[in-house]
Amino acid sequence: MKKPKLVCKDVMEHICENLGENLDSPKCSTIRAHLDNCDNCQNYFRTVEDTIQFYKNYNVDLPEGAHERLIEFLGLTK
Amino acid sequence: MEERELIELAQAGDRKALEELVKKYESTVYNFSFKICRDKDRAENTMQETFMSMVKNIKQFKGDSKLSTWLYTVVSNHCLMAARNASKRSYDSLDDENTYIDEKKLADWNVSPGKVAEDKELKELLDKAISKLQPDYRIVFLLRDVEGLSTEETAKIRNLSVAAVKSRLHRARAFLRHELNEKLKYEKA
Repeated sequence: MKKPKLVCKDVMEHICENLGENLDSPKCSTIRAHLDNCDNCQNYFRTVEDTIQFYKNYNVDLPEGAHERLIEFLGLTK
Repeated sequence: MEERELIELAQAGDRKALEELVKKYESTVYNFSFKICRDKDRAENTMQETFMSMVKNIKQFKGDSKLSTWLYTVVSNHCLMAARNASKRSYDSLDDENTYIDEKKLADWNVSPGKVAEDKELKELLDKAISKLQPDYRIVFLLRDVEGLSTEETAKIRNLSVAAVKSRLHRARAFLRHELNEKLKYEKA
């Protein structure tokens, strides 16, 4: 039986759903093969990865005095 | 000292051990709270309430899961409750994937993720985009993708099935990429 042709939309949905999961299933191999040859999907894959990385890199420091205020709030001052 | 020992000492009433546990996790808890609510005052308030809950309930902590998992659960519940009480704000529905996965709108981006720390405008864009995401989707995205927890741990924290976590994650990723794409894409000449 002839395999249904994979379209970009399928690949993009698969990327969103399975990024970070085990990509060894037969469907994933087909996805990888499509990705290797499709600039559009490569852009999509990269920008989903970048989206995650942007939020990973966006960190904030504990404000000045926040630790002391916390310890006092908890009643753990000496 | 190992975390297990610290927890046992804290359960026996050792205040120094409690303070050590607070020190160990305060930055993680503050950052995670900030990432959900995108507001420094609210993040500090959530951090205080989370550790108050830890101090009050440490004796009931059985150690079946990691202390960090338990803290993530408290922060998530606190933020969801606050979001429900705060306003009747409506969020975009994520049901129609065609809005967010549009294969015609594809371009690479002109800013690399390494620029976040030094770019105020980019931070504002990230804040704005994630604030448009429904809080329960936001928390799943942050736990799984940003904090790096497994799908199973995320499901446990949010009391969802693994399939429900995957579905929320899928939509949250597509939604955020779409929101950022409008500002970050560039057209090749």
